[in-house]
Amino acid sequence: MKPALRILSGPAGTLLLVVVMMSVVMIVAGSTPWAGFGALFGGALGGPHELAETLAQTTALLFPALGICLAFRAGLFNIGAEGQLLLGGLAAGALGANFTGPGWLAVPMILAAGIVGGGLWGALAGWMKSRFNANEIISTLMLNYVAISIANYLVAGPLKSPLATGAETAPLPASSWLPTLIPDTRLTIALLIAVGIAALLQFVFARTVFGYELRALGEAPEAARRNHVDINRLTWMAMGLSGAIAGLGGAAIVAGELHRFNTQLSPGYGFTAIAVALVGDLHPLWICLAAFGFGILEAGGLAMQASAGVPKDAIHLIEGIIILVLAAKRFVSTRVEVPAV
Amino acid sequence: MRGIRKAYPGVVAVNGVDLDLYPGEIHALVGENGAGKSTLSNIAFGEVKADAGTVKASGSVGLVHQHFELVGRLRVWQNIVLGREPRKGLRIDEAAARKMVTDLAAKNGLEIDPDAFVEDLPIGVQQRVELLRELEREPTVLLLDEPTAALAPAEIDAFFATITALAKRGTAIMIVTHKLQEVIAYSHKISVMRHGELVAKLDTYSTSVDDIARAMVGGELPPVAEREPTTLAPCLTIDDVTAGTGGSRADGVTLEVQSGEIVGIAGVEGNGQTALADAIAKMIDYEGVIGLDSKPAIVPQDRHREALVMTWSIVDNAVLGRQHDPGIQKGLLLDGARARRDAEAIKERFDVRAANLDVAVKTLSGGNQQKIVVGRALIDDPKFVLAYNPTRGIDVGAAALVQSRLMQARNAGAAILLISFELDEILTLADRILVMYRGKVVGNFSRAQVDRAAIGRLMAGSAA
Repeated sequence: MKPALRILSGPAGTLLLVVVMMSVVMIVAGSTPWAGFGALFGGALGGPHELAETLAQTTALLFPALGICLAFRAGLFNIGAEGQLLLGGLAAGALGANFTGPGWLAVPMILAAGIVGGGLWGALAGWMKSRFNANEIISTLMLNYVAISIANYLVAGPLKSPLATGAETAPLPASSWLPTLIPDTRLTIALLIAVGIAALLQFVFARTVFGYELRALGEAPEAARRNHVDINRLTWMAMGLSGAIAGLGGAAIVAGELHRFNTQLSPGYGFTAIAVALVGDLHPLWICLAAFGFGILEAGGLAMQASAGVPKDAIHLIEGIIILVLAAKRFVSTRVEVPAV
Repeated sequence: MRGIRKAYPGVVAVNGVDLDLYPGEIHALVGENGAGKSTLSNIAFGEVKADAGTVKASGSVGLVHQHFELVGRLRVWQNIVLGREPRKGLRIDEAAARKMVTDLAAKNGLEIDPDAFVEDLPIGVQQRVELLRELEREPTVLLLDEPTAALAPAEIDAFFATITALAKRGTAIMIVTHKLQEVIAYSHKISVMRHGELVAKLDTYSTSVDDIARAMVGGELPPVAEREPTTLAPCLTIDDVTAGTGGSRADGVTLEVQSGEIVGIAGVEGNGQTALADAIAKMIDYEGVIGLDSKPAIVPQDRHREALVMTWSIVDNAVLGRQHDPGIQKGLLLDGARARRDAEAIKERFDVRAANLDVAVKTLSGGNQQKIVVGRALIDDPKFVLAYNPTRGIDVGAAALVQSRLMQARNAGAAILLISFELDEILTLADRILVMYRGKVVGNFSRAQVDRAAIGRLMAGSAA
């Protein structure tokens, strides 16, 4: 590969491509790239409230993206972060609405419920793979629909708040809300938790036996199997932890901004997070940056629509294009030229 | 071929090679792995385009690949006519195709059942199919890439009889190989490649295996370590073990390997060796008893897939399989400093040629990769070592080093089970030699009473 091509095939190339594509969309929509990007960045970063909204979006994407990162590094294509996030949120909402213990324990218990809810859902797919060799792409994707149905049933029936008109759980008492970082915004300490998890994941990959075996499984499953890596155990553990991190993200949304559970919890964070994880090259710290980039797009999109007349759907168009580009790149980069000597 | 040159990123694979092939002549092209043999034959065949130089042939060129390119689930005749099927309207004219194949086989003196499924055939017969497919095009030049790699000694003789007859009828033949005994026995001329250049052109009648080997490595061959007297003590007992499925299963294998000896299992690929090795490694279920009181150190047969994580550094690979060993696992953590020390020790003891310990092992040569695999297996002075084709596909220097280290481990009291498809390797290393055929142990020789011809017959399935 020529040096210029090599640079373009990296993150810089992806970024350049995104900028070019967005410019095209803006021009097609009758605006200019200057006006469009101006509105986008103004809306995302123009003041403390705008920044808070961007970081809230970042947080919501970061949890499932880190979960996906863990599973993907083990070679497990967890497409089910959306369902894991939802059930994590459901468990958190159900516990939070009925929690009667001491106040200081409420937040940790709610977050733990999210971890358990998402974790069990992820581990289920992992167990199906290790026990029956069920393809995890199919099973996690399908379990998303099962999760939505379970949540719909529970919030419309057993868990429905008698006071609410819609399908939702009873509200959480204010003592169990996550503290905000900037008052009167959606930005809570969940951001710090997510970044902490990213750092922890980085450490797990680099320094622990578990992370070592996880990477071995992802990079060379047969070599792992033959070198004392317990693949079955690792598979359900990786899927369980992956789901747990996504579920924690669901709990953070419940305790941080909705203060109750309903099935509008996620507008598809678990799916967008796949792109975030891939843009971040499956490295936890890069994923933090990628999530921030997607946060800018999500939060700034509305402002772009309002003041530059570029439809917000353009953002989702761009996100789709990013996924395509990354998928294509992965396909191309597996076909490396090797000297046939 | 004149002035052939081909460069890949970072390596000149072939550099200014002139080569002439004549009708009626069997020309052997030898050299170590990475010397440029395959690239040169691919250029001659037209599969790879040279950067410079010209290739001229007075007719078509045929190439028989080392790894057969056959469709296992099609019949023999279907494979041979594939792509050139005689037609009757929209359908294949089966009668004509079958006659074409039988005629072709008869003309070349190759016995074959045109209706057999290729996947059911032994390797030697599959190769006949591959050869017939090329001969159908009546090439004036025939290139053979490692044609005997998977054949039993008897099959090898039959194969060369065919090739010799073909040459007599006027085909120019080039054989790419590393088996120097065969080169001496069957070729007319020999070209030796080293580092992409043609370093020697020899006439077979006036040369020897040693001359060729010296030309290949550019100097003297490193000697294998001496065999020293050892005290034997029981280590591994395998009693009536049956494992695997189908034709390649191990079927009631009983054997014993004692500390301080190397037991070699000779046999042609696909006679149950893999099932036996996998049973010992506890990778597959088995019936019978495998008695071993320590963790086996294993050199698996496929270093790329089974032994190494190719994208990882030497450091990370140095502790693979040992990640739970005390001293490497510290609580939840992996001792990175220990991994680096071990990698350094392996690099030192096995002369691994790498810029540093952090390069990905996929950037290293096959020989250096294998040194890492064997080095890792031997680093903790294991009581028992299972080595499966430990020198397959690596250069002579690396192979001699690996063999020396195995011998030294034996001298120090390790029990070593050596499974190899190279009889020469077994004869070099083993104290006792067993022969496997169709899953059973059919022969047992001590080093003192070894009989190469008898072993060869047993490998091919006839009584000694």
